[in-house]
Amino acid sequence: LRELSIGYEGLDRVDGSARFGFGWSFTGSAAALSSISGPIEVRLAAENPSQATFEVLLRPLSNVPGTESKALASTIRNLLTPSIILTQNPRTLVQLVVQALIPAEKFYSPLVASIINASTLALMNAGSIPMRGIVCAVSVGRFRSNIMPTSSLILDPSDDELSSLQGIGCFAFLFGTGQTGGSEVVWSNWQSSISFSEEELIKARDLARGGAEKVWIGMKQSVGRVG
Amino acid sequence: MRPPSPSIPEREFLLKALEQSLRLDGRAPLQSRTPTLTFGPELGWVECALGKTRVLAYVSAKIVKPTPERPFEGTITIHSEISPMASREYEVGRPSDEEVTITRMLDKVLRRSDAVDKESLCILAGERVWALRLTIHCLADAGNMLDCACLAGVVALKHFRRPEVEVIGDEVIVHAPTERAPVPLSIHHSPFCFTFAFFAPSPSSQSVPITILDPVHLEQRLSNGSISIALNAQREICVLQKLGGVPLGAEEVVGVVQVAVGKAKEMERLVESALKEDWEGRKGGVEVR
Repeated sequence: LRELSIGYEGLDRVDGSARFGFGWSFTGSAAALSSISGPIEVRLAAENPSQATFEVLLRPLSNVPGTESKALASTIRNLLTPSIILTQNPRTLVQLVVQALIPAEKFYSPLVASIINASTLALMNAGSIPMRGIVCAVSVGRFRSNIMPTSSLILDPSDDELSSLQGIGCFAFLFGTGQTGGSEVVWSNWQSSISFSEEELIKARDLARGGAEKVWIGMKQSVGRVG
Repeated sequence: MRPPSPSIPEREFLLKALEQSLRLDGRAPLQSRTPTLTFGPELGWVECALGKTRVLAYVSAKIVKPTPERPFEGTITIHSEISPMASREYEVGRPSDEEVTITRMLDKVLRRSDAVDKESLCILAGERVWALRLTIHCLADAGNMLDCACLAGVVALKHFRRPEVEVIGDEVIVHAPTERAPVPLSIHHSPFCFTFAFFAPSPSSQSVPITILDPVHLEQRLSNGSISIALNAQREICVLQKLGGVPLGAEEVVGVVQVAVGKAKEMERLVESALKEDWEGRKGGVEVR
């Protein structure tokens, strides 16, 4: 796992904001900046009388947001909804805006993981939206292996390792109450250019769970630094 | 959602303070916030902060076929959409007045003033040219996003390096940055934008409107008009824009332009030193020109 860089931006006109990156040097880092406003006034069309409306907007670094941004935004919305308690503030809006900080034509797995982590940190930074748990995400890659089925899985591949991967995926876990136990998979996304078995997917998931715990601990430590 | 208007006590306090040449954050009336420039790992990635106002600019380039009307020139496109991250009052899909002003001003200042030499972007006449894309993201709006966006755009264009291209006959070879050092853009001049806000004088005091440079969000909302001047350090005015508001006499406009000329020289020095500092830091890694 690369060194995590976490920063609470303190953007002026929103309720909470945070920046998350895997690695922070000139050699490629997947970083995203997210901001949360909420609970704020909602348009009449989007109002829900029993719970708050959760809206996610995703913006790539270069170019206007397109179809892929909207698709990923809707995925992130479904992923994060279990972790926040929306029924506490009905008829309001919780608005999440995420800005990718690295140029990428497609949203690849480490960037998606950064986006999810940054969103969680912004929700924590805002403090105005009750949460059930913390969602941490990390990406796992699978190296080319021409011999054995015990292929080498790697946690959080960096940019130079990406070209030699056969499969890559992102796993998001919800950490509830309790010290280190009790994390369940909220979302996973695995793309591979060759066929893979279910047990390999389970191994990847377990590897990701360990990585996500480290991300979770990193987040906890960063909160301690803020005060 | 449009926020409610500032409260009456805020308004009265601000106006009374301005009559005595005092500003809420302690600056002098014609003093602007010092810009802070942060350069990213990529070339062409710049974040500019004017106090709490923050704007991110990114330049990318790709090779395309030129339009038939202009086969010898490259193209520059500027994207500047304001997201709700800048402030909750901006909505997606519906351009607010501020967004339209910023888009039009950026277009005039960066494209139509010919800051970047478009003919130098040509690779093979009629076949291949560089198409630059400048994307501006407004991260936080604490007043005067226009100046911040213009500054970020200009610095990003100066910071950007495009890959070197070799043309042999009809064949175009693009060299990777690791093979040959990337080449800076050919920039004619660097325009900087300065925004002044005006407040109508109270009838009892002097009849000259009160001028302040680089308004904060509250000052911007309560002002009765504003004028934006884009000029470069060589004392050439690129754009002068005044959208309605308090009428200004000729002496006031000339006075404002004089102030802007002085500020432009300062800004040029600041930008050059920031860029130089960034290059010193990069020399260890990639060879740059």
